[in-house]
Amino acid sequence: MSALYQGKKGIRPPAVSVTSVVCHDLMDAAGVSFPHAHVNAGAMAELALAGHSVIGFDTVMPEYSVHQEAAALGCEVDWGSRDQMPDSRNFPYADFSDVVVPENILEKPSLRVVLDAISILRRHVGGKVAIVGKVMGPWTLAYHMAGTQNLLLQVGLEEKDKITRMLRQLMSIPIAFAQAQFQAGADIVVLADHATGSLIGAHHYREYLLPIHREITAEIEGPLILHVCGNCMDRLELFADAGFDGYHFEWQVDSKVAVKKVGHRICLIGNVKNAQTLFQGKPEDVRKQVRYAIEAGVNMIAPECAIPLATPIENLKALVAAVHEGY
Amino acid sequence: MSATLEQIKQAVIDGKHKEIEGLVQTAVDQKIDLNRIINDALIEAMDDIGKKFGCGEVFVPEMLVSALTMKKALAIIKPLLKAEDSKAKATVLMGTVKGDLHDIGKNLVCIMLEGAGFEVVDLGVDLNAEKLVEKVMEIKPDIVGLSALLTTTMPEMQKVISAMREKGLRSKVKVMVGGAPLDAKFAEKIGADGYGKDAGEAVQLARRLVAGD
Repeated sequence: MSALYQGKKGIRPPAVSVTSVVCHDLMDAAGVSFPHAHVNAGAMAELALAGHSVIGFDTVMPEYSVHQEAAALGCEVDWGSRDQMPDSRNFPYADFSDVVVPENILEKPSLRVVLDAISILRRHVGGKVAIVGKVMGPWTLAYHMAGTQNLLLQVGLEEKDKITRMLRQLMSIPIAFAQAQFQAGADIVVLADHATGSLIGAHHYREYLLPIHREITAEIEGPLILHVCGNCMDRLELFADAGFDGYHFEWQVDSKVAVKKVGHRICLIGNVKNAQTLFQGKPEDVRKQVRYAIEAGVNMIAPECAIPLATPIENLKALVAAVHEGY
Repeated sequence: MSATLEQIKQAVIDGKHKEIEGLVQTAVDQKIDLNRIINDALIEAMDDIGKKFGCGEVFVPEMLVSALTMKKALAIIKPLLKAEDSKAKATVLMGTVKGDLHDIGKNLVCIMLEGAGFEVVDLGVDLNAEKLVEKVMEIKPDIVGLSALLTTTMPEMQKVISAMREKGLRSKVKVMVGGAPLDAKFAEKIGADGYGKDAGEAVQLARRLVAGD
């Protein structure tokens, strides 16, 4: 928590799980598997705890999929399997009609399960290990509601009113869900909003999302980390302007450049490469990247995004070990 | 290049989808060679937009609108082409591998390849190796293009290539791969013929593969 506000540094940065650190080896060690851990609070919490007790991460994060809210909003979600992450099979608002947000959305099973898992984690490790929650931002939810390509086409066609209306209808969900997660026991909440580099530009972010993100960060009382994938080098300042406490970033954003640009304004969390390093690399490759990030001044060390399920657990342990070498 | 062709090219680059049909009709009325409209205006424009995307000048929204604009232009031109003029450069079979439902990257590559004169057969998403091999045997494409956005689905590409090898198809068909988590090293490791980092590169790669470079 101190690292999030760039406070007392201690002897090392924390090794954190911000998105998902679940791999087959971890499922085996915890005796809990996907898809059960997406839909059952006990299994969800069990797997999150294993990230701490088996691998050694300093946080526990019980939400592994990006489709919890989508399911609550009427998407048909295929919860996948041990080898496959969940995915939505339809886009209920492809016509950009008004999104109907259920009044009791927090009681929908796919959201309730996360809140219950956080409560379980609080009972087990509250006050000892940082509990990290997660919500999807309005941009990601709009991908799920309208379809990614459809939404991006509307951006290209400059259908600003249509898009903004949908984003505004959706923004109450991350606010309510994040507040509920804090009440349930989360210490930090990640807001994942895939205004991803190369999918959209910094100018799109400024036009469509920045004002909404500012409202969201003003509404939510509690530490918030923004997660956006891709090369976001051109919009780091905008993320800091939006009022987030931290930004979780990918390897495509060089740690040194990120620290130089916004390190004084926002906590930086990242950015060990998933595909080439954690999944296909060796422990020494992982160590090299961790040390580079620490030396650059990254405040918390984490995989860049949800890790591939076939990632060897040795590489995750190597991440933690490299962090334990200290500053 | 004639002023009309210049205007068509610029309209595609700028995504002026409401104006394109009028411009193409003007070019047709001026009896400008249809292949010149395709090659000098449309393909040039899509090459240009591909390059702009590659260097971060434009993003997916702009590419999608340019693609929409190009499609409207082709819809006017294609029915007017004589059979021999409309012969495709080569056939590309495109698909996202098993376990992966992401299709924007693959769709952009399809659009760009079509714009560049290739015949594209888009098999969609979540395709297993057996299905892909079956389609290769049926359609006999010149190139198979495989896409994956998820790191979890990258290994599927290897399975497709191995399955093609087992059926004796590998030497007859080129394989190109792409997707955010991939790189050239991975493409080489799994025995693909090439990797394109974005839609623009994929078109260049397809051209090279067909030319036998």
